[in-house]
Amino acid sequence: MKWSGYNNLEELTEYDDADLDFLKRRIVFAGLIVLCFAAIIIARLWFLQVHKGDEYRDRADNNRVRVREVAAPRGNIFDAKSRKMVTNRPSFNVVLVREDSNDVDKLLKKLATALDLDISMLWEKLRDASTKPRHIPVRLLVDVDWQTLAYVENHNQEFPGIRIETTPARVYHYENLAAHAIGYLGEISKKELAARDSDIYTGGDLIGKMGLERLRETDLRGEKGSSSSEVNARGFEQQLLKSIEPLPGNDIQLTIDAELQKVAEDLMDSGGKAGAVVAMEVKTGRMLALASNPVLPLNQFVGGISHKNWNALLDNEKHPLINKVVQAMYPPGSTYKMITAMAGLSTGVIDKDTVFYCPGFYTFGNRRYHCWKHSGHGAVNLKRAISESCDVYFYQVGLRVGVDKLAEFANKFGLGHKSGIELEHEKSGLTPTKEWKKKKYGQKWQDGETLSVAIGQGFNLVTPLQICLMTATIANGGKQYLPQIIEKVTDPDGKIIEQFEPVVVTEMTGDERFLPLIREGMEEVVQGRRGTARLVRIKGLTIGGKTGTAQVVRLKEYKHLKEEDIPYKFRDHAWFTCYAPAEDPEIAVTVLVEHGLHGGSGAGPVARAILEAYFSGYLQLHEETEKAAKEEEE
Amino acid sequence: MFRIDRRFFQNFDWILLLLLLGVAGMALMNLYSASYPPSPWGMPPFVKQCYLFLFGMLCILFILFFDYRELHFWNYPFYVLIIILLLLVLFVGNSAGGAQRWINLGFFRLQPSELAKLMLVVTLASYYSRKEQTEGYGIRDMITPVLLTLLPFLLIMKQPDLGTALMLGIIFVSMTVFAKIRIQTYGLGLVLGGAAGVFAWFFLLRDYQKRRIETLLNPAKDPMGQGYQILQSKIAVGSGGVGGKGYLEGTQGHLHFLPERHTDFAFSVWGEEWGFAGSLFFLGVYFTMLFWGLYVAMTARDRFGVFLSFGVVMLIFWQAVINLLMILGFLPVVGIPLPLVSYGGSSLLTTLLGLGILMNVRMRRFQTGQNADKMK
Repeated sequence: MKWSGYNNLEELTEYDDADLDFLKRRIVFAGLIVLCFAAIIIARLWFLQVHKGDEYRDRADNNRVRVREVAAPRGNIFDAKSRKMVTNRPSFNVVLVREDSNDVDKLLKKLATALDLDISMLWEKLRDASTKPRHIPVRLLVDVDWQTLAYVENHNQEFPGIRIETTPARVYHYENLAAHAIGYLGEISKKELAARDSDIYTGGDLIGKMGLERLRETDLRGEKGSSSSEVNARGFEQQLLKSIEPLPGNDIQLTIDAELQKVAEDLMDSGGKAGAVVAMEVKTGRMLALASNPVLPLNQFVGGISHKNWNALLDNEKHPLINKVVQAMYPPGSTYKMITAMAGLSTGVIDKDTVFYCPGFYTFGNRRYHCWKHSGHGAVNLKRAISESCDVYFYQVGLRVGVDKLAEFANKFGLGHKSGIELEHEKSGLTPTKEWKKKKYGQKWQDGETLSVAIGQGFNLVTPLQICLMTATIANGGKQYLPQIIEKVTDPDGKIIEQFEPVVVTEMTGDERFLPLIREGMEEVVQGRRGTARLVRIKGLTIGGKTGTAQVVRLKEYKHLKEEDIPYKFRDHAWFTCYAPAEDPEIAVTVLVEHGLHGGSGAGPVARAILEAYFSGYLQLHEETEKAAKEEEE
Repeated sequence: MFRIDRRFFQNFDWILLLLLLGVAGMALMNLYSASYPPSPWGMPPFVKQCYLFLFGMLCILFILFFDYRELHFWNYPFYVLIIILLLLVLFVGNSAGGAQRWINLGFFRLQPSELAKLMLVVTLASYYSRKEQTEGYGIRDMITPVLLTLLPFLLIMKQPDLGTALMLGIIFVSMTVFAKIRIQTYGLGLVLGGAAGVFAWFFLLRDYQKRRIETLLNPAKDPMGQGYQILQSKIAVGSGGVGGKGYLEGTQGHLHFLPERHTDFAFSVWGEEWGFAGSLFFLGVYFTMLFWGLYVAMTARDRFGVFLSFGVVMLIFWQAVINLLMILGFLPVVGIPLPLVSYGGSSLLTTLLGLGILMNVRMRRFQTGQNADKMK
């Protein structure tokens, strides 16, 4: 114990009371200091917990609650027979939550290396989202395959901030069927975002870009849900606090029959044809098929179309981006002759027995206007004029009626104005009048031009839909129905929100009495011995129809060439429009084949296939009864 | 020396024991919540701390059998032992977070710098009680205590452990001022202290330590760094409101927003879950314990007892104040635990030993020289 310098405890316990009293006073003073600090701490606690308690409680909630949007499954699209056309499937996206990553640079580089991606693409996505709050996920990769999915899921510890997000994506059960009518989805653009309700849309949302997906966006989109999760400071979700299920969009049932549509598209496609096929119920206005070929490759649009694919679509000489049913206009050709005939009958210029002589041409002024049959038809009445499509007959009717009267009747049959069908960018077509030409060109109408108009050439322009509407109006006895493509809209509970109802736009008063004469001629086109569309005939079904050839150009240099040798884009368009059964028409079918040369051969077979498909049950029955009758006879 | 006096039991400090058990009970309960849900691997901090607490209580029981005055004799051997440990830690210590602070004993990671705090209290108490100066200590009297403090201080700074080193300085200042020093000693102390501070800022402090001090001045500047911790702590405490969110219901702590939530920021968890009312109750018990410690110092029999008890109270008090002010956003994050409450074995043992010394002093307050055991 030497180091202490003391020998025993006694020496240490000697103390002096005065000294202890001095220390006691100091202890009291120290106690006061302790009390002061206690007071400071308690005051601070009061300030934080009582005075600012509510404010900090809010901040705590913001700290820990992260609300994520849950995309609503879009409404399904069914065909007329309730077949699934477009539904949803889960799609897995790789997203980045910037807030959860402390080094986005490094993270993206690592991800790009791991998944063999182009880093500049990832950067671009990030730049696009630069204005969004940092906790909002940025989609880096959309609809990844399962290998990528598995890789990211298994390595999520290595990629802090990278997550997999599940969103509904479209499934096209019939691939590109009716693609123009149905349309496609795409990521919402900045412009669209600005124009729309910010409560409903946020960046990165999918929105209908075309067709019904766009037009019926409000029906289809549903209502987003949300999930509020507690997250820790590292961004990992700890537990679900509240989850609002998304409300699926309304289902839409189309009037389109997928099988008919398929027949139309496949047949056009197999022939490599460009054009349009329209089929419609003549007594309701239901559109049964609306094909526009070449079809739109919908699957290219699922994750956003690439520039290369888009440019390929733009440059395609068959214009796949255009819905030719309503967005393309063609001269109606001979299908227009029914209009000329009706105008003639109605104005009393002709009756059913009026005969004109066709030598193969008609001389007007100092010019010869040829009939398509250069050898001539001889003496022609109305029925023969329609069935054999005699140009000379209609030159004379047109000339007597006048262009304005022709236009008036064309309008009555639905030409020259938009039908009002629920499709985008519908063209109104053109039914020229004297006034129109004055306005447009500042020139007087030449009577020679009336000749061209009377046979569907010249300034005349129609859409395939308009020709179908005209045919339906002829077939149903003068009623013009609004063409509709939606059978019904049902909400997720199955409640019907919207139900198809036929709408009559106009109805003929008086002139409908001439329609049987027209139909007689049209029946002869198919059923007659010298009809122009004899190869459309179907055993057991009476069909009324009309062929047409729409001249693209009238170039002397091609005159001497065989039709097949004329360059594709200068070849004539082929029309065929028809209705069946002739006794009590149900359906009208119009086919336009771009540069398809002749109506009967180019367009007729497509129409025929559709009629066969549509009447297949009926035709089968017919065949069986006939067979039975034959057996009985024997 | 093992003679058991009946009066020891009569004079046993039941009140201090009760206060200690009260604080420790709340602390362990809080620790359970702070480390909730229990981690699936390893021993949960709560269980570990419980064992350590029991061990600490046994230590208290053990030292009660010795007269505190014997520390006069054991003081220097302890001092040398601690210095050796502090040297050892620099060479073979376990490092964590860039600092070497621990010696791994297998079952327990000893942090010698914690023990150094208590050792300094005993050393200074022994020095000041032996060398009495009614006129106050002069500059020459200060050489020995300054050197005794500086040696462990520098060794701890080297680890580096700014917080603990700072504590040694604070203990030194508290006990020296308490012992009364002459006015010129104050003057020289201030000048030298200031110079040392400036020197430290430029040559001794590491960048992260400087940053901690800087962010205190402007926490919003660095929300994800040091300021982030303070901000999260303030949000946790503040969001507790008046009544708290309820036991185990605190969200900030459980969701890992709170950093170091079972060590330095343990009281944030308490504040969040028990609110202002619960915090007031806790601090009430805690500060009563400290005041009682001062009362023990006042009633101590001799000068050594007074200095010992006062030093122990200051040791606990300053750590508590610095920790609480840090949690409440008044001080930078310096890594000073809240004694008895923060998880950490060395700190807990040191504090319990200190409280054991207080009980010892209290127990022997009536003992006279005649009744005391002879050493030889």
